Amino acid sequence: MGRTDRGVSRRDFVKAAVAIGGTSALSACLDREGAPDLDTGPEDLSALPARQHAWNESLSRDDAGNVTAARHHVLLLLEYAGEGTPSEDDRETVEQALRGLERAYPRSNEGLLFTVGYTPAYFDRYDASLPESVDLPRPGALAPFEDPKPDEPDALVHLASDYGQVVLGADEALRGKRETLNDVDVSSFGDVFERVDRRTGFVGAGLPAENQDVDGIPDSEPVDEDAPLFMGFKSGFEANQASEDRVTIQEGPFAEGTTAHLSKIQLHLDQWYEQDSRYQRVGKMFSPAHADEEKVEGVGNNLGTDSGLDGDQDRTLEDARTKGMVGHTQKSARARDENDSPLILRRDFDSTDGGEAGLHFLSLQRTISDFVETREAMNGTDVADQSAVGTRNNNGILQYLTVDRRGNYLMPPRDHRSLPRPDP
Amino acid sequence: MDSRQWTRRDLLCASGAVGVGALAGCSGLLEEQSTNRNPSVVENRPDAIYRPSHVEGMEMIGMQEAGGRMVGLMYAYAHRFWTVTGSVTELVQPGGDVHLMASVWDPDSGTVLPVGTGLSVEIRTDGERLHRRSPWTMLSQNMGFHYGDNFALDGEGTYTVTVETGAVGTERVGDFADSFGESATAQFEWEYSEAARSEIPFRTLDDAGDPGALDPMEMDMMPLSFAPSTDELPGQVLGSAEAGDVHFAATVVSGDDGDAIAVSPRTRYNGYVLPAMSLSATLDRDGSTAFDDLLTQAVGPDLGYHYRASVDAVESGDELTITTDSGPQVSRHEGYETAFTDVPDVSITAD
Repeated sequence: MGRTDRGVSRRDFVKAAVAIGGTSALSACLDREGAPDLDTGPEDLSALPARQHAWNESLSRDDAGNVTAARHHVLLLLEYAGEGTPSEDDRETVEQALRGLERAYPRSNEGLLFTVGYTPAYFDRYDASLPESVDLPRPGALAPFEDPKPDEPDALVHLASDYGQVVLGADEALRGKRETLNDVDVSSFGDVFERVDRRTGFVGAGLPAENQDVDGIPDSEPVDEDAPLFMGFKSGFEANQASEDRVTIQEGPFAEGTTAHLSKIQLHLDQWYEQDSRYQRVGKMFSPAHADEEKVEGVGNNLGTDSGLDGDQDRTLEDARTKGMVGHTQKSARARDENDSPLILRRDFDSTDGGEAGLHFLSLQRTISDFVETREAMNGTDVADQSAVGTRNNNGILQYLTVDRRGNYLMPPRDHRSLPRPDP
Repeated sequence: MDSRQWTRRDLLCASGAVGVGALAGCSGLLEEQSTNRNPSVVENRPDAIYRPSHVEGMEMIGMQEAGGRMVGLMYAYAHRFWTVTGSVTELVQPGGDVHLMASVWDPDSGTVLPVGTGLSVEIRTDGERLHRRSPWTMLSQNMGFHYGDNFALDGEGTYTVTVETGAVGTERVGDFADSFGESATAQFEWEYSEAARSEIPFRTLDDAGDPGALDPMEMDMMPLSFAPSTDELPGQVLGSAEAGDVHFAATVVSGDDGDAIAVSPRTRYNGYVLPAMSLSATLDRDGSTAFDDLLTQAVGPDLGYHYRASVDAVESGDELTITTDSGPQVSRHEGYETAFTDVPDVSITAD
């Protein structure tokens, strides 16, 4: 069912309900999605992985073998409500609430996946410092043309599921609006946290097309039905993603944890869809060779498990000088380690928060420096300095997005996920 | 502030003052109905700078100082333009209500500060954000380099247009070295009406398609992106050469890091700087190569926007060959879209 139909399509509705939140939205979601017959989570939680971010094993894969993101997402930005440092009771309250979620749903895309992270501002509550094994600077601008506001709450909770009602239910439970989830008793964060922001989104074929009636996307409904993201192309190719091992902290008290960077990005796709040609869109998203050789069919599912760069990343400057544009994928692929692995694991998703097309760019990496290095590769400032490619014009997709907020988080191992001290 | 505005009366009776000298006097103007401001694309366009189908004016919305720079905001009829990637040009059909243009310049030297900034524009009305985007970098015959795009508005009324200049990322030399490294914001209140827009002069040209260009407009207080004349270039001027409607002037300047070759390409006819080119150069001395490398973009108050590279020295008799790896990667207003795509090498011999 398309969005031009008189009614609201089922998935449209679920997306809107996730954005609105609240109990009424949740009960409406239940009506629309039906009540999926989900198992509960394990009674014994000791077998759960040490890594909060170990999601890939429990996510589904597409036909080519790429990990498929869960479709619905909620991000909760939380302030510690007390003064000074959290008490043991606070810690226990948070841990019990999280354990409730784990017992309520299986740890999978059909059940519930979640993580909790903490900002540098949170750890500043303590006299002690984070160990050197954790690289967690305060957020700042990462390009000469951006001026993001820093996100500095204490904590970030990320909830994800293929079912809108599952993320909404978990959201409600943490707020104390539900005492059971999936017939399992659950508890809330109580008065430990205050919410300072709630962000929502979705990713996956069909959802962007069905939710394109927002500012930042032209009225011509240009977003392809098969597109997993608003810009119309597939992303998250296996070969372009760091492994969970690669993003995991290896030493110190937070070993088996990771760091998360979350940016709030506004998309403005009028030029992208109404002025750029398909040739230019493919060239700017992937590489000029992709455009010249017509390597990308539709949204790019034909590319398989990698983006078909074929060494295009090594020709970035040459392309900039002779083709007048460089691809986002091509540029970003230059940020790799000595084993040719990407440095970041993208877990981003689109959004219609505030009625605007947006992208919540959530990525995991061992150190925030890994993210900064990747973003610098994506900025392509080095390429722009030596070629006709502009700071943003013809420089990948920089022209079409504005970063409004940035935040950095430590995502501790599961053992330390509840209001950790910097030296646990 | 004297933001000289183009009005129909100006166009008719004061062409000397407000420019469009191409109109050459006040007689014989063919006024068009405001409903058709986009005549057909000229047939058989030459692969060169050509006289476009029409000439139109623009209206100044305002000028403001921000971050040591001047920011000018103007609008005209929404009109077609061409985006450029490599040697591919793509026609963008006119859409929306207006073509909005911004220019940023150094108020002391009058140097227009081109590309390398990521300038963005936000348009708000009634407390709602209507648009937010990075306009295209552009080249037009009567204005030269600017930022521009077509925008749909929400009818007549008051709009707030915020221009975020971005930091000048292009290398800054001379007195610019310590300037423009930070972004600056200029905000304009704009009372838009269709009647005022319809006052913007417009006429078709009888010699459309002929080689040549519209004359640069003249607007008080707002400089255009002219390159310095070859005679005015600082340093040891090597000379100039022309190919593919690009006039290249070259000089050798001394700086803290030794000597540098500075190449200043500008449009034939109007002498506008040509930004966002990929240039490289060789220096041949007695049959051997004394230099062979890329030229990178830079901007300064005396040289304007140019392309440069450090060299040990340039000696009398050296032959400088300039290769255009790609022409200016900026969008084009009509009359420039077929030019600069295949620029032959040029050589200049040092005296």
